[in-house]
Amino acid sequence: MSAPGKGRGMAIDLSFTVLEGARETRVPGGRTMEEIEADFRKPGNTTFTSVFGTDPFDFWVGPFYVGVWGFIGSIATVIGALFYFNETIFKGPYSLPQNFFAGRIDPPPAEVGLALQKAGEVGFAWQMTVLFATIAFFSWMMREIDICKKLDMGFHVPISFGVVFSSWLTLQVIRPILLGQWHEGFVIGVMPHLDWVSNFGYRYNNFLYNPFHALGISLIFFATFLLACHGSAILSAAQTRDPSPERINQFWTDIQYYSIGEAGIHRAGALAAAIGILVSNLCILFSGWPVQDWVAFWGFWNDLPFWRGF
Amino acid sequence: MAAELGVPPNRTPAEIDIGDATGRIGSAIEAKWLGRLGFDTQLGPFYLGLWGVVAFVSAGLFTFIWLMTMLAQVSYNPIAFLKYFAVLQLDPPSPAYGLGFAPLDKGGWWLVATFFLTISILAWLIRIWERARALGLKPYLAYGFTGAIALYLVIYIIRPIIMGDWSEAPGHGIKALLDWDNNTSVRYGNFYYNPFHMLSIFFLLGSTLLFSMHGATIWALEKFGAHEEEAEIIAPGTGTERAQLFWRWTMGFNANAYSIHLWAFWFAWLCGVTGAIGVLLSGTLVSDWFQWAIDARINYPQAPPVPVELPLP
Repeated sequence: MSAPGKGRGMAIDLSFTVLEGARETRVPGGRTMEEIEADFRKPGNTTFTSVFGTDPFDFWVGPFYVGVWGFIGSIATVIGALFYFNETIFKGPYSLPQNFFAGRIDPPPAEVGLALQKAGEVGFAWQMTVLFATIAFFSWMMREIDICKKLDMGFHVPISFGVVFSSWLTLQVIRPILLGQWHEGFVIGVMPHLDWVSNFGYRYNNFLYNPFHALGISLIFFATFLLACHGSAILSAAQTRDPSPERINQFWTDIQYYSIGEAGIHRAGALAAAIGILVSNLCILFSGWPVQDWVAFWGFWNDLPFWRGF
Repeated sequence: MAAELGVPPNRTPAEIDIGDATGRIGSAIEAKWLGRLGFDTQLGPFYLGLWGVVAFVSAGLFTFIWLMTMLAQVSYNPIAFLKYFAVLQLDPPSPAYGLGFAPLDKGGWWLVATFFLTISILAWLIRIWERARALGLKPYLAYGFTGAIALYLVIYIIRPIIMGDWSEAPGHGIKALLDWDNNTSVRYGNFYYNPFHMLSIFFLLGSTLLFSMHGATIWALEKFGAHEEEAEIIAPGTGTERAQLFWRWTMGFNANAYSIHLWAFWFAWLCGVTGAIGVLLSGTLVSDWFQWAIDARINYPQAPPVPVELPLP
């Protein structure tokens, strides 16, 4: 691969080298999952063994790794799912299959503010579902870190999951707390959450004029575009008689002057996806506070001093 | 690196080369700083060819007509042009003209501009198809591009023709696109209830999720060579084994170095295609998606939520 470009005072160097012997492990046709698992299913090297020296749940169930975080996450998932299905399906207004679409869990009314509801009050099921879902999502991220440690991987996947977890926190925790009421969280349910998204957009006049919404959508479309480019390039490469990265690199330089490379495309894709989601967080966070109207928001544009008269 | 491949193995006779013996323009340039980001460092050379010329010339004509008609709207004042750039727009003819040719200043320029835009997109499709064939590759990128083209053709050409007038298409301009988006949704009873819009969003966010998963997995395993996917597909090594185990242990299921790219290709392609179906049906077969969803028994309208008093001004 490309040599790391040292020198000339550049501090940032995110290049990498492939470890000695890594390429020699390649086996034509690959090994069976049993052979692979026998090499890698080893106890130890988890977050809990690093801190406490022991992990009581350091085992696998079928293909799944458990660990302390898997244990906590499973319990939270079961309790959260019980609240969700009880409220939407079993206590819903229609027949069971209809309730799959129609069932809803509303957040507490506005006058409750940031208080916690008691069982039986409106919003209790919402608070419980959000609480246990948040625990489950966090545990999922920590369990991914455990698995990364076991496989000697970088933490790129849990960090990426952390990005989408931050969207959940922004919508259901951070923004409601900033605005002083749990009522600001979104309604949980298949069709009701679509209604909530639609209403949320028009409550601030027109969400398409929200610049962070526009930038977020553009980056998400860009990630989808890059995925199409990468997927098609590898399918093309895998189906030639002489699969080599040079041929694909030449294809890209021919049609668009630059080929980012087989490592670079994965970095670019993961970054486009993550930044798109982080920018989307801002479009939610800034709505209601500090911006009430995304059309009127653009008033500042016409008043910029250098073109006010035009 | 790439330039050493020289003359493409399967030269297609229909193509006209422009430039040197391989049809390429310029020579490779090394941009070392890109290597610090883990990206490849070679820029160029570039292949132009007949279809490249057609694509660039017609895209240039589209851009020229679009910008000049908008510039005329601000009396060719450059400062006003910058100030109002996002809200200036080149609109299609009004419904009264139907599918006929309108005077140039009443939407005719939109017809001319859209014609060149369409030619440019189709020429680019042929260009990436030809280049893949010339290099001995199956033209999967061209197959993938058809998903986006389907959405473009439905919005700008096919649906306006079915509806009988060009005003159904969006104007050219930033605000024009946003407004067309919003108005089309509201006019047909809210696109959130359009099942093909649901699918398109599913594949859009699904593609973002897939690339986040795949990109991050490979990024995390670069030191084991997992990014050398052409080699890993034929002979999976320790990088691919770890990638597979990661997802097997996390969610009980894993793809492999080849099949993840099948997932990738189909998710991204279906985003455009399902979106195209959703737009095509709106106003032609379905006039109100809200009512459609009630009839389909997936929408159960309930009393709207109580209006909210915000605690902050």
